[in-house]
Amino acid sequence: MSSGPYAALDPCVHCGFCLPACPTYLVTADEGHSPRGRIVLMRALERGEMSGHDAALVEYLDACLGCRGCEPVCPSGVGYGRGLEAAREQLLSQRGLSPLARSVLGVFRYRALWRSVFALARGLRATRLPSLLSGPGRMRFGMGMLAASAEMRERVEWSARQRGSGTAGHELGSRDDLAADQTRRPAAPPTVALFRGCVMDLLFSHVHAATRRTLEVNGYRVLDLPDQMCCGALHEHAGDRESARALASANVEALAGRADFVVVNSAGCGALLKDYGHLVGTPESSTLAASVRDVSELLAEKGPRPGAPLDIDVAYDAPCHLQHAQRVHEAPLAMLRAIPALRLQLLPGSDRCCGSAGIYSVLRPRMARKVLESKIADVEAASPRPDLVVTGNPGCIMQIGAGLRAAKLPVRVAHPVELLDLSYQNAGFYEVKGE
Amino acid sequence: MNSSLLAALSRIVGRQWVRHRRAELVTYAMDGLPTHESLPGVVVIPGSPEQVREIIRLLHVVRVPFVARGAGTGLSGGALADPDAVLIALTRLNRILRVDPLQRRAVVQPGVVNARLSEAVLPFGLHYVPDPSSQAACTVGGNVAENAGGPHCLKYGVTTNHIVALEVALPDGSSIRLGSLHGEPWGPDLVGLFVGSEGMFGIATEITVRLERIPQSVRTMLADFSTVRAASEAVSSIIAAGIVPAALEMMDRACVAAVEASIYAAGYPTDAAAVLLVELDGQSDAVEAETALVRDILTERGARAVRTASTPADRARLWQGRKKAFGAMGRIAPDLAVQDAVVPRSALPAIMDQIDGIRLEYGLTISNVFHAGDGNLHPNISFDRRDSAVIARVRSACRDIMAACVAVGGSITGEHGVGNDKLDYMPWIFDAETLGAMRAVRRAFDPTELANPGKVVPVHACREWTAVKSTRTPTLRSGHS
Repeated sequence: MSSGPYAALDPCVHCGFCLPACPTYLVTADEGHSPRGRIVLMRALERGEMSGHDAALVEYLDACLGCRGCEPVCPSGVGYGRGLEAAREQLLSQRGLSPLARSVLGVFRYRALWRSVFALARGLRATRLPSLLSGPGRMRFGMGMLAASAEMRERVEWSARQRGSGTAGHELGSRDDLAADQTRRPAAPPTVALFRGCVMDLLFSHVHAATRRTLEVNGYRVLDLPDQMCCGALHEHAGDRESARALASANVEALAGRADFVVVNSAGCGALLKDYGHLVGTPESSTLAASVRDVSELLAEKGPRPGAPLDIDVAYDAPCHLQHAQRVHEAPLAMLRAIPALRLQLLPGSDRCCGSAGIYSVLRPRMARKVLESKIADVEAASPRPDLVVTGNPGCIMQIGAGLRAAKLPVRVAHPVELLDLSYQNAGFYEVKGE
Repeated sequence: MNSSLLAALSRIVGRQWVRHRRAELVTYAMDGLPTHESLPGVVVIPGSPEQVREIIRLLHVVRVPFVARGAGTGLSGGALADPDAVLIALTRLNRILRVDPLQRRAVVQPGVVNARLSEAVLPFGLHYVPDPSSQAACTVGGNVAENAGGPHCLKYGVTTNHIVALEVALPDGSSIRLGSLHGEPWGPDLVGLFVGSEGMFGIATEITVRLERIPQSVRTMLADFSTVRAASEAVSSIIAAGIVPAALEMMDRACVAAVEASIYAAGYPTDAAAVLLVELDGQSDAVEAETALVRDILTERGARAVRTASTPADRARLWQGRKKAFGAMGRIAPDLAVQDAVVPRSALPAIMDQIDGIRLEYGLTISNVFHAGDGNLHPNISFDRRDSAVIARVRSACRDIMAACVAVGGSITGEHGVGNDKLDYMPWIFDAETLGAMRAVRRAFDPTELANPGKVVPVHACREWTAVKSTRTPTLRSGHS
């Protein structure tokens, strides 16, 4: 067996059991767009039989979403993701990045840049223009993505529906229960540092707020730590390991040793933070990585506490970087099941990639849209049709949200923690005494 | 491949479905048996049966050979094309065209994945029975070409017993319909001839399959033994008692170890020399009675423990371990030579001893996972091809195993087909006359031998059989049995 960066590919015996799990194979029916085909190409790259300048090889490897849906179905445990990392690093060193990828990744390298870009985007979003302009074309799809990042407006509507139905939230929990809980709790609750990230911090600040509130209700103390950077996942996936490492080191510096846990509510970021030990290679980075949790994991560990009923149909869609990279399956479901009256569905293909894949949907919009199509069709065919699709990753929220808008389906997308938050709000958990 | 052919193919299927760059071709250079490798001249991925026929018509005119390919999970090198040939990938023809639950028939395109078909008819309480271990990925078209088997073929028969009609693109691009939706057609059984012909007679563009009701009751038992011989004898005893299990599968210690290390770990005991999976199905009462009987036989034959799966989830877990066993072999070594041979069931204990002897003689790792009920062996030899010395030993061990199987009255393939992997063994079981007859049948379908050339019937030895060929009326006679 080889011991180099491609060693994780060694166990592949070419059985082909991964083919039906690959989103790009399913839409192209082409072996080169399958994990097995790409492994053949990566091995050729490793052995020097093919060059990183080979246009066809680059096309096939670039077209991989990196969803790692092939890993959990592989009987031999091939480390496809590790192999892909190695291949993309080698390709980057041989041919560099495309101008578009370089400029996108450059933005995420510097806080001042991404902050300005997302602040502008937020301003645009506030005008409601993106929502009005959203549609199927490439520009209008982009507008749909931005519109989908907004906090769900239906919060109010569903709360009203729930109140109208006469089920009283306070039956299940009130602030008095909460106060009683808190007195029973040991003196020092576990501390949690919120990983802010880039997209999450500016376009999804409402998800951060929901994360803070729900964690506190479940007995965590949430800390806001300064000097955090973008996680570096976009750079890592593009093969720009140097940038990824620099960003990761800055985050290790900002977060290490300051809290019991680091909580992440973006599956893509969480997957890389959990891998910081491998990426940075210092003892601090490994310790930090071991303390990283998805928000659903922390909440599920505490039950979580049930809130007020939400009388809605919800379809859960599993982000690839939560289910395949972090191997977190049950926690988000436990979190949603803690909401009384909520009807949870798992649509066919809810474990299949939506095509977002970081900046993939920007760099390869056609393939990304093809991959998305079957997911939208599944939502459309669902009975009963869900009011909402929930998924714990910003890229997936925007991609699926834009897809639903383009298909003119009256279904919105949100982060699962937003629903728990709404349920808590309706239960009165956030009302301050003496208000 | 010359550029005018590429242009002509592009006109038929569209440029984006013609693959000719090296990186594109290398992904199609192997099937599920990577000990064989061959770069095709060009890969073309048609989107309709009409396009398949047009491609074949074109190739017939310009006399360029072609090879059909499904998901590339075959295990005999049957879907490999030489640099002078066109590989026709049928993966885009993946539509289930009709399901008739009353008549229990489905009409599918060749690229439909085997397991998808069963999923699609599940709401009607039906399934498509042949279940090769690769069923999650392999295609019905490939199953037809190879006459694929699977664990449940012991009781229900192999692919050929489940195909009732075919639409075939012949090697000159014309189209014919074989068989009929209901009952037997007149004349010779051409469907039976086509199923298992390994791509020599053309390409099936539409396949009508028989569906079966999902049995009322199913019991799956797991028994473990301290010797392979005892497990083999238990197999014979079950059949001798007049019981036909739905499936009767064996795995040895090395195989169990690989499965249990994988995510498909099924809870097989890792200290056993062999485990047997026995499945019984049918009406509840009968299944209950047979389960008790089989349990007694297994215990009598020395099973250390017999476990019965009580829930569908337990059953699924036991089967996942078995079905993914071959894919789990990468945990032992990066390369794998999968063999496929058949022996009379009574010879199982002796042949297992011989395979173990061959393993020791060549110092190799051999794990066995196989359809014990019908004597269909799959010895898996794990190796690392970067060790150049080992490859010769693997080849010799494969030959020796095959020779041992043939010597006890067996055959060189149970379900993987001959392809190019077993060409050399064909003269071991068929005499020159019989091989000549096979070639004549091939030529009846394909006078210019453009369809999957060089496979199945060893061409290089055919010079000796010219006399037979020229008569054009050969008598089919088995060379061995």
